[in-house]
Amino acid sequence: MTPSSVLLNLALSFAGLSALCLAMDRHHRAIFHGSPSRKRARALRWTGWCGIAVSFAAAILTADWNFGPVQWLGSLTGAALVLVGLVSYRPGWVRPAAILALPLAAVAAFLA
Amino acid sequence: MRRGFRQSMAWLHTWSGLVTGWVMFCVFVTGTATYYRTDISLWMRPELRAAAVAPGVAAERGAAYLKVHAPKAVSWFVSLPQEDRPLIGVYWLDSFEAPIRQASLDAETGQPTTARATQGGDFLYRFHYELQMMPMLGRWIVGASALVLLVALVSGIVTHRRIFADFFTFRRDRSAQRGWLDAHNVTGVLALPFHLMITYTGIVTLAFTLMPWGIASAYRGDEMRFYVEAGQTPAWRAAAGRPAEALPLAPLVDRARAEVSEPLEMVIVNNPGDAASTVVAVFEEPKGLAHRHPQVAFEAVSGEVVARLGTLKPAAHAFTSFLGLHEAHFAGPALRGLFFLCGLMGSATIATGLVLWSVARAPKPGLAPGFGLRLVRGLNLGTVLGLPIGIAAFFLANRLLPVALEARAAWEGGAFFAAWGLAALVGFARPHGRTWREMGTVAGLLFLSLPLVGALTTDRGLDFVWFDLAMVAIAAGLGSGAWTLSRYEDVRRTRVARTAQTLARA
Amino acid sequence: MPDEAALRNPGRGLGWRVRAAVAGRVVLATFGAYGVAALSTAFLSLVLPMVRSEAVATATLLSFAIMVGAVVWVFAARTLARAALGLAVPAALLAGGLWLALALVDTAPPA
Repeated sequence: MTPSSVLLNLALSFAGLSALCLAMDRHHRAIFHGSPSRKRARALRWTGWCGIAVSFAAAILTADWNFGPVQWLGSLTGAALVLVGLVSYRPGWVRPAAILALPLAAVAAFLA
Repeated sequence: MRRGFRQSMAWLHTWSGLVTGWVMFCVFVTGTATYYRTDISLWMRPELRAAAVAPGVAAERGAAYLKVHAPKAVSWFVSLPQEDRPLIGVYWLDSFEAPIRQASLDAETGQPTTARATQGGDFLYRFHYELQMMPMLGRWIVGASALVLLVALVSGIVTHRRIFADFFTFRRDRSAQRGWLDAHNVTGVLALPFHLMITYTGIVTLAFTLMPWGIASAYRGDEMRFYVEAGQTPAWRAAAGRPAEALPLAPLVDRARAEVSEPLEMVIVNNPGDAASTVVAVFEEPKGLAHRHPQVAFEAVSGEVVARLGTLKPAAHAFTSFLGLHEAHFAGPALRGLFFLCGLMGSATIATGLVLWSVARAPKPGLAPGFGLRLVRGLNLGTVLGLPIGIAAFFLANRLLPVALEARAAWEGGAFFAAWGLAALVGFARPHGRTWREMGTVAGLLFLSLPLVGALTTDRGLDFVWFDLAMVAIAAGLGSGAWTLSRYEDVRRTRVARTAQTLARA
Repeated sequence: MPDEAALRNPGRGLGWRVRAAVAGRVVLATFGAYGVAALSTAFLSLVLPMVRSEAVATATLLSFAIMVGAVVWVFAARTLARAALGLAVPAALLAGGLWLALALVDTAPPA
């Protein structure tokens, strides 16, 4: 339950939720100026759920079954709040932020 | 039901949320602050520095004070100095019916502390679950409101048909009502696991006040016996009625510490001075969700161990885990930050819900608002901005009141209620959009002044830099909230003007 | 439930019948739901097949979920009478069970 393990969770949750968000027509159009193709939407959705699942696994591995679920849910909430802020105020930043989250997660995983 | 299930739940959500909203907003805000209770307490006692005193020695210092000041008490409690609370806290019960009495002692000398008298973070903590009222009344109001909030949460989930479709949606550019609704939904849905958890576990912290009927039927109302059988407290030993010399505390405490790896938190002496006196060493919670303190109980005269409390049975473990989840003592700094964020989101959900109720019922231009709407608007202003103003005044009073003032701790509480009451009166006198902006600005400025006042009145340098930064962040949040509101108002005003022009031209 | 439009303008278009029905549900939700939850706690504390302290902890933990379920039922039921019946039947069964359990289960403190 170190700060780096929480950061790892936040980064993974953020990446996963961003993919899920972009798989939705309304948000995809706001950010990429066009609806996603069926295939693209499905790929994004899969990526998103995988990201959230990996985040859960990371929480269990770094904070065990006692605190892992708590930390996972908390990180989902924190990441989602940041994401909603970006989607509404700086939609252009969503994609770079989601991509940047992955190396950040790697660094945090290394520290955790 | 004349209409569908969902509609009846929407009705239930609207009205249960409204009636419980004001109390629950206060409970959420003060509860969220309580995640940083020890930090607040440290900030409010700037004279104190960390003290390194052996636990056994500190326990004896506390007991020595109690021997003089409370020789006839039925129980003594000595809470030992911790890194985040460098004081010896002594508490005692003159009888089981009497209110608990307390004093704070300097860890080095064992004399009453010369640090300023203040309730510290405990003030907000106590407000959180008993509203600073008579304990039972306050707890019932908080508990009943929390039950209504749980109903509002469940009916809100049923009502919100687009929970996943609108998951990431916050349309700030549409109408004011749309914006409030989106803000309510986003803060409510994103932190929904927290909201459900914190409300249910909060009710569980008051469970035996609200729902004493299990103990009433299975234990004939004997709560003590329940706790003993559940392994949460050692059995009470009745006083023998004859005095006896007890062993010194320090060696007993050290023997207990050799058995348990957690830091020692408190030493309890039951029936002090009596031949059947017991000494209980209470340790901090081990790493884990459950809120349970390992305890070792000794016979005070012979030094024999009479009870060891550690592991719990499954249901008791679940019960204490609920309490542990609620208090989040287990959380490290990062996770605690997330809990804090979730608490803020809960407060925001309630505040936006309350505002939404009044925005949705705004009368058509030219019509006067009815009594109900004016009441709700006034209460909204008085609660959502009044409480932060009260908290800022409480902190300011801590720095500005003379250190030697008589009944100083009570005056701090007085400042809290006076500032809040004043803000609420202003809110009732002018429940307009403009008042939101002005009061939001005032609240922001009050919080912004705290780092400055703190720097001028204390000499702790950068010791409280995190507290100061938090105050600046809160000020920024309140200020930008007020600014956003004013922008909404402006947009609406220009729209109204434009409509009027169009009409005039036609 | 009366429709939203009527409730937004109390005093207009909101007959005493509707008001009484709403008031009735609020009273039923407050006292009826609490009563059912209290009875279930007392009953389950005695009959759950576990150590007594465990039964009490389990029953008390459950009681608040039961209460919320009962409140939702009161406001979701088609008529007030149905809502009342839906609480009265379980309450009667629980009360009967509690009466039996109190007679059969030994709750005396250990000597």
